[in-house]
Amino acid sequence: MSFALSSFRKDIARWRQDWVLTLIWIAIPLMVGTLVTILMGSDVKPSGTLLLVDEDETFFSELVVGAYSAGELGEFLTVEKTDYDDGLTRVNDGEASGLLVIPKGFAEAFLEAEPVTLTLRTNPSQTILPGIIREVTEILLDAGFYAQQLFSDEIETLTSMSENPTDAQVAAIAIAIQNKVEVVAPRLFPLVIDVEIVEPPQEQPAPPLALLYMPGVIVMALVFSANGLAGDFWKERELGTLRRLVAAPTFLGEFLAGKALAAALIIAIVGGITLFLGFLYHGIGWAHYPVSLLWLVVSGVALFAWFSVLQMLFSNQKTAGVVSTLLVFPLLMAGGSFFPLAVMPGWIAAIGRASPNGFMAERLTTEITSVAAGAIDASSWAIVVISTVVGFGICGWRLRTGFARA
Amino acid sequence: MPQSDTVWFGPMLTVNELSKNYGDFVAVDRISFSAAAGQVFGLLGPNGAGKSTAINCISGLLKPTSGHASVAGHDVVSDGKAARSKLGVVPQELALYDDLPAIENLRFWGKAYGLGGKELNDRVAEVLETIGLGDRATDLPKEFSGGMKRRLNFGCGVVHKPPVILLDEPTVGVDPQSRARLFDLVEAERDAGACVLYTTHYMEEAERLCDSLAIIDHGKLIAQGSVAELRAKLGARDVLQLTGHFPVEPTKQAIAALIERGNADLEFLAQQEDSITLTLSQASQHLPAIYEAVAGTGGSVTETSLRSPNLETLFLLLTGKELRE
Repeated sequence: MSFALSSFRKDIARWRQDWVLTLIWIAIPLMVGTLVTILMGSDVKPSGTLLLVDEDETFFSELVVGAYSAGELGEFLTVEKTDYDDGLTRVNDGEASGLLVIPKGFAEAFLEAEPVTLTLRTNPSQTILPGIIREVTEILLDAGFYAQQLFSDEIETLTSMSENPTDAQVAAIAIAIQNKVEVVAPRLFPLVIDVEIVEPPQEQPAPPLALLYMPGVIVMALVFSANGLAGDFWKERELGTLRRLVAAPTFLGEFLAGKALAAALIIAIVGGITLFLGFLYHGIGWAHYPVSLLWLVVSGVALFAWFSVLQMLFSNQKTAGVVSTLLVFPLLMAGGSFFPLAVMPGWIAAIGRASPNGFMAERLTTEITSVAAGAIDASSWAIVVISTVVGFGICGWRLRTGFARA
Repeated sequence: MPQSDTVWFGPMLTVNELSKNYGDFVAVDRISFSAAAGQVFGLLGPNGAGKSTAINCISGLLKPTSGHASVAGHDVVSDGKAARSKLGVVPQELALYDDLPAIENLRFWGKAYGLGGKELNDRVAEVLETIGLGDRATDLPKEFSGGMKRRLNFGCGVVHKPPVILLDEPTVGVDPQSRARLFDLVEAERDAGACVLYTTHYMEEAERLCDSLAIIDHGKLIAQGSVAELRAKLGARDVLQLTGHFPVEPTKQAIAALIERGNADLEFLAQQEDSITLTLSQASQHLPAIYEAVAGTGGSVTETSLRSPNLETLFLLLTGKELRE
């Protein structure tokens, strides 16, 4: 094993000459991950802005304004008053989900039961929130219509009153409205059809989508690292050192073991940093960190072994580079590194989970979302270890059967 | 004395009917030779003759198609690990980590051959001084000159004190000063008892370094022996090459007439429209008669080359072409 340690020290010493590349392996996934995480937020709920132009500025127009920010609607819709020109510009620029214009004379038209037009302009690049706004507006208009029908007498009385009605007149209208509500309410409540939403009991809250995406980002860094490190076999071939190695009596397995150890250390650094940042951001329990890191290192070395096999299968470096690039990006896309597996169509997600990086990411997800640490099953560890040994076995065979000769 | 954990009394390097084919192409064709400890054995031949292929078969980089090679009694195929442990290889192409300091290169390759601890440290220090890089031990080879890289390349091949050293054209592209230094290193290893197999296409290197050598062309050994023995094959015959314009048939007849008259112990080696190559003893004394014969055919001589007997002329004699075509 002493030569394995020499091989390890040699690769680490050489890696230290070119450590900047490692920063790129970390930086690109972090940038992608940060962007996607910001887009997704830490919660699933969408949020948007409804711009309101209230040209009427009456009690009734305020009721309409208030309806959009009440209840659950107010949790993902922010209502902001503005003027028409500003509102139009912002909707067209994509800064708001919709612009609703309440025209002057809205209240008078409502009380006089005359036609009135509310103008709703929606953001063309969005569909969900504008659709919600449209439906709420229609519901409000329907409610207004039924209110007009139900309280037509009271409304007529109100409009015929002077500007300063007496307390007795207001009380009379209020009593009349109350009486009508008491007559109608028993016909509406309780509802004939009651909807009960049954959800399975949850031991813990469902993880946010951004958390489920984190393993894919980390695995992306490892894929870049493993592929980059595997390219060193070509560099050693060009240097001529593989020729000298094959002519030496040393067991090639020790040379490869040294390379694997060096790859493990570098992957531990890359994975450790990205994992640490992910744990920090999502507030994951640190008890999961050691097992998660170990999983990344072991499976990362397996990736390195197989990327090395891929590099050695071709007769020249250019072809090897092109093929590995053609393979890496589809793997990353299918394996959940650009889009979380949870949001992919089922058949793509199934392919992604079966890919090496998807397999890694899924197990990492299991670990970080489980209650107790050490949730990755033994068979997954075994698969990774066996595939590593097989991969390096093929590498040794390729070294002996021609790859070492430039 | 070279290190050895077993005592082997036979030739340190034996090659017997070694062949290497690539499909129908025969790169090495049943070559046989042997070399002893404390000897430099040369393999002389032009580019593409099969020298590197032979070295690669002996070093284990290529599997021979047929035949055998053994190093200190260990067959390179059936007992490859033991054979490789006795070998030091200095390849034609540099085999260095250019991003690892010189001393770390030597340490790494020493480790590959089983050295360790104090023995490794002492040996690395010794090799650094021997190859003249003691003051550049911590520098990176990518900062070295070509000659310095070649010396480090040599050092990495001998750091483990192998009893048999394979050098494959180690002075290609090297300046004369570095070349001379490399020669000194080779001779030092030989004097220390190593068996050195040295391939080259430079006749002067073979003549300077080699105790015995074999001439190889198109994969075949065409001559073998000590330098003195090979020179004796030539006798004391000079090689005369005339360049110019020579009507083929008339020139042939004119030279044949000279031979008949017994004016010179002439032999034709080669004739083309713009050159004729002859071999004869004391050529300088017969030049006037040869010029007169050529002039009589209507030909003309623009250049004359007269070479004393050496390995290059022997190669020309044996193959009809220049060693460095």
